[in-house]
Amino acid sequence: MMGGICSRKREQLVIENGGCRGVSERFCKIASSKWLGNSFSRPIVDCQPGRGKCPSLMDLCIYKIREDIDKYSSFSILPRDISQQIFNELIHSRCLTDVSLKAFRDCALQDVFLGEYPGVKDSWMDFISSQGSSLLSVDISSSDVTDSGLALLKDCPNLQTFAFNYTDQLSEHGLKHISGLSNLTSLSFKKCDAITAEGMRAFSNLINLEKLDLERCSGIHGGFFHLKGLLKLKSLNIRCCKCVTDLDLKAISGITSLKELQAFSSNITDVGVSYLKGLHNLTMLNLEGCNITNACLESISALVALAVLNLNRCRLNDDGWEKFSGNKNLKVLSLGFSDITDACLVHLKDLTNLESLNLDSCGIGDEGLANLTGLTLLKTLELSDTEVASNGLRHLSGLTNLENLNLSFTLVNDSSLKKLSGLTSLKSLNLDARQITDAGLAALTSLTGLTHLDLFGARISDSGTKCLQYFKNLQSLEICGGGLTDAGVKNIKDLASLTLLNLSQNCNLTDKTLELASGLTALVSLNVSNSCITREGLQYLKPLKNLRSLSLESCKVTASDIKNLQSDALPNLISFRPE
Amino acid sequence: MRKEDMVKLISAEGFEFVIDKDAAMVSQTINNMLTSPGSFAETQHGEVTFPEISTTILEKICKYFYWHLQFASGKETEFPIEPELTLELMMAANYLHT
Repeated sequence: MMGGICSRKREQLVIENGGCRGVSERFCKIASSKWLGNSFSRPIVDCQPGRGKCPSLMDLCIYKIREDIDKYSSFSILPRDISQQIFNELIHSRCLTDVSLKAFRDCALQDVFLGEYPGVKDSWMDFISSQGSSLLSVDISSSDVTDSGLALLKDCPNLQTFAFNYTDQLSEHGLKHISGLSNLTSLSFKKCDAITAEGMRAFSNLINLEKLDLERCSGIHGGFFHLKGLLKLKSLNIRCCKCVTDLDLKAISGITSLKELQAFSSNITDVGVSYLKGLHNLTMLNLEGCNITNACLESISALVALAVLNLNRCRLNDDGWEKFSGNKNLKVLSLGFSDITDACLVHLKDLTNLESLNLDSCGIGDEGLANLTGLTLLKTLELSDTEVASNGLRHLSGLTNLENLNLSFTLVNDSSLKKLSGLTSLKSLNLDARQITDAGLAALTSLTGLTHLDLFGARISDSGTKCLQYFKNLQSLEICGGGLTDAGVKNIKDLASLTLLNLSQNCNLTDKTLELASGLTALVSLNVSNSCITREGLQYLKPLKNLRSLSLESCKVTASDIKNLQSDALPNLISFRPE
Repeated sequence: MRKEDMVKLISAEGFEFVIDKDAAMVSQTINNMLTSPGSFAETQHGEVTFPEISTTILEKICKYFYWHLQFASGKETEFPIEPELTLELMMAANYLHT
C-alpha cells in the first residue's frame, strides 16, 4: 500500500487482504478512491444508445440480441469474434442463462469469463467444453461446478488460463482432471480446500505453467515438491496460506525461473528465506507479516535481481543492514510497521534506484532522512506515523521526482512546509496532522500538479481555503478539522476535477454547502457527515450524476430521504449513510 | 450536390445506393478504401462493390450511416433493427468496421 495516501491504516490492511468490508467507522475517512474502484465490479458508463457517444452498428446489434436473446437458437454461423462479443455482453449485463447458453454451443469461443457469475454449475461445463480446441481462457470462480463438471475440460486441450477460485465443491480427486491440460500457463485456485498435498500432484505435469495462484489455500503444506518440475514457473502466490512452512520453500528452492513470490502472511521464518538464495531471477518478494527477523537479510542480499521487496510488519530492527546495500536493483522497498530507526536508513543510502520507500510507523526521525537525499529517483515516500519533524523536511527538498508524500501523524509544522515548495512533481500529499494550519497550506501554492490532498485533521479555516484555487487539478480533497463554514466551501466549488470530497466534521456547514457543491459534477464520493445539512439540502445533489457514495451521518437527513434522492436522480449511488 | 461528394455502394445483387460521401465515411473500411493513396478503382470512381452484402442489408447499413450523422449532431433517436436481420447485419458491420 505504498502511496495509499488517503487511506487510514486500519483500512490499508483490509485492502491488502483483498477483503471487501466497507468503511465501517462512522467518522473515519472515506477510504481512498482506489477502494471505490475495487469494490464495484461494473463500470459506471453503460454503453447504451442515447447517452452521448454514438454506438456502432455492431453495438446496436449486440444490444438488440440481448433484448431478444430467447429468439436465437444458435450463433454458431457467426464468425468467432462476433459470437465472442455477444457472449461477453450477455455476461456483462447478467443476461446469460441456462437457456441462452445453449445458443453458444460450438461457437469456437476463446474466452469464457464466468467468475462470480450467478448460477454456474456442472451443466454449464458441457457448453464450455463444446468450444473444444478453440478455448484458451476459462474463469469459473465462485461457481457450483464439481469434480464431474471439471472432467469435461479434457476436451479443451489448448486451454492456457484457468481460474477456479473460491470453490468448496471440488475434491482433491477432481483436481486430477486438469493434469492433462499441459498447455496451461496460468492457473488460479484461490481459497480452495481441494488443493491438498496429494491434490497438488495434478500440477506436476503442467510443465508450461508460468503462473500459479494458491492464495488462502489452507491445505497445501507438504505438496510443494510436486512443483519441482515446473521449470517455467515465474509467479507463485501463496499469500495468507498459514499452513506454508519453511520446508515448503525448500521444495521450490530449485525453481530458478521464479520471478515473483508472494508469501504475505504465511508461516515462513528466516530458515525458509534462506532456501530462496538460489533464486537469482527473483525480482519481486513479498514477505509482509511473516515471522522473519534481521537474520534473513543475508539471504535476501543474495537476491541481486530483486526490484520489489515487501518486509512490512516483520520483526525487523537495526541489526545487520550493512549486508543489504548490495541490492542495487531495488526500486520498491517496504519496511513499514517494524522497529527500524535512523540507524537502518544509513545502509539504504546507496539504493539509488529506489522509486518507492515505505517507512510507515517506523522509529524514523529527522536525522535519518539525511540518508535519503541521494535517492533522487524516489517517487513515493511514506513517512506516516514516524517521528519526522520540521527539521527533517529540508532533506526532502532535493527529491524533485517525488509524486506521493505521506506526512500524516508526523510532527512537521507549518513553518517547515516551505521546504516542500520545490517538489513540483507532487501529485499526492498527505498532511493529516493537527498542528498544520492555514499558514502551512499557504506555503504550498507552488504545487499546482497536486491531484490528491489530504488535510483530514489539519486545522484549515475559511481563509485558508483561498489557497485551494492553486490546486486546479485536485481529484480528491479532505478537510475535516472542524474549522470550515459555507464561506470556505465557496473556494472549493470551482475545483471541477474533484471526484472525492470529504468535508465531514465541519459541524457548521449547512445546506448552502451542498448548493455550492452542486456544480462538482465529477464527484463520485461525497462526505459531509456531522454537519447541519438537512433534508432540504439534498435537492442540490441532483446534478451529481456520477455520485456513488454519499455520507451524511449525524445530519438532519434520514436513510429514506437519501433513498428518495437515489431513485429520483442518482441512479449510480450505491453506498450511502445513514442506510 | 456535386458528384464528387457522393459515392456509389453496390450490393451483391448489383443494386446501387448513391449516398453522401460523409455518410459512407462512417465506415472505417469504406473510409480507408476511398482515401487510401494510389489509384484504386474505388478512389477514382467513388464506387465500392460488396459481393458479400445483400441489398436488404446494404440498405440498412446506409440508413445507419445517416442515423449516425444525425446522432453526432445531437439528434439521439432509436435505430430500429429487425430481429431477422441482426446476424447478417453484424457480419457486415464487422467487415465495415461500423
